[in-house]
Amino acid sequence: MDDKEVRIFDNVLEYTCLELNQVLKNISSEYKKEIEEIRLRSGMPLIVYIKGSDYFVTQRGFLTKNSSESILVKREDITKTFQLISNYSVYAFEEEIKNGFITLKGGHRVGIGGKVLYGINGIETIKNISSLNIRIAREKLGVSDEIAKHMIDFPRAIHNTLIISPPQCGKTTLLRDLIRNLSDGVSLLGGEGFKIGVIDERSELAGMYNGAPQHNIGLRTDVLDGCNKRDGTRMLLRAMSPEIIAMDEIGSISDVESIHESLKAGVKIIATVHGSTLEDLLSRNSLKILINEKIFKRYVFLDNSKGVGTVKDIIEGNYFKSIMR
Amino acid sequence: MIFIKFMGGLLIVLSTTLMGFYYGKKYSSRLNNLIYMEQCIKILETEIVYGAVPLPEALVNVYNKGNKKVSFVFKEIKDHLLANRGGDVLDSFSYVINSLKEKLNFKKEDIEMLISLGRVLGSSDREDQEKNFKFVLSQIAILEGEAKMERDKNEKMFKNLGILTGLTIVIILI
Repeated sequence: MDDKEVRIFDNVLEYTCLELNQVLKNISSEYKKEIEEIRLRSGMPLIVYIKGSDYFVTQRGFLTKNSSESILVKREDITKTFQLISNYSVYAFEEEIKNGFITLKGGHRVGIGGKVLYGINGIETIKNISSLNIRIAREKLGVSDEIAKHMIDFPRAIHNTLIISPPQCGKTTLLRDLIRNLSDGVSLLGGEGFKIGVIDERSELAGMYNGAPQHNIGLRTDVLDGCNKRDGTRMLLRAMSPEIIAMDEIGSISDVESIHESLKAGVKIIATVHGSTLEDLLSRNSLKILINEKIFKRYVFLDNSKGVGTVKDIIEGNYFKSIMR
Repeated sequence: MIFIKFMGGLLIVLSTTLMGFYYGKKYSSRLNNLIYMEQCIKILETEIVYGAVPLPEALVNVYNKGNKKVSFVFKEIKDHLLANRGGDVLDSFSYVINSLKEKLNFKKEDIEMLISLGRVLGSSDREDQEKNFKFVLSQIAILEGEAKMERDKNEKMFKNLGILTGLTIVIILI
């Protein structure tokens, strides 16, 4: 298992330019398997994120808290790395670049910062790239096993569920694993699975690369990659006959509309949202509607009090009572 | 004696004729290779502008679909590109200059045209790539015109020159 995590990191390093690769590959395996983000900023120290705090990387691959010992990321390093990431083919990643990120093989994502150029149809491209954020995607198979039990609605359905968490606390990972679980079949329902339509607006859930999902998302799952939620809901409802629609990061009024639309068609919803408490969500107009209509029957709250992805609470949606244990 | 003289003369004429043909051939070979190169660039354009195929893959496709006499260049470029981890596409184009000069009889301006393609290849969106391809293709059309004129003018001349030089040497020797 540990080996696999290290291998994932080493695979990501294939996309960094030679100079940075030499440095990063010397990081000890212990840290390699924990690293969540590698941040490259032009002229700034090389930084990696581990469990929510950042470390500078020295020339010999040691991690330090002292920024003066760190190696500096040069502009060419960023240009070269970007060329490797985009496979020397900016034209092939036009749409991705407009959205500000590129998905790599393995479902890892690279966020791009630089000079944004506008054209007639909105963002045209990003020039003079000044920072890259390589986010290492780690699948955590089985993190949703406990939660899935709370979501089942007998005889054969699930409750509409909303996963709430601050950034970097494992929302997406949890949602992905839930999708896998429900799609493959849950033991409580005699191993029967659901047909799941995933609207993967930010290519994070399935991590599609060249038309193949890079994460395990179950065997009854269809993915609309890079599609917005409104179009995605319509497309799925039209012909894919999903039993569950899963979407990441809801929040806008149009998201609420598409959720209503799916409910009309008798489709269940699993979604995630940024936030930390129920009050927090009530302060937002769009979510207020959903909560007051009691659409969601289960609210799952995450935080990182006991490590990334700690389930803080599960609240039942009619009377807002905790049902954890 | 006459037989030996005759044989010697024949050898001289034969070798100078061959030399003439060899020099003349350079011109027609340049023209042919330019035409093949144009085809290759057109294939590359389709791959990139309409297929949005990533560059290394597109280069291999050009190698497979194009005339191998010329398209081997694209495979060399791709191999260098992947070996050069993160280097510029331009570097990889520069890397094949020697092959272009020696194996394809390209002249300086032909090579410059190809290098100008390497300078922008892959570094911008499809629309921009298309513009660049149009530009390079118009360039190569001009170069083909020039090459054709030069061939018509020089190929015959070198061939004739070869035979005539041979004959002159033989006459002087006799």
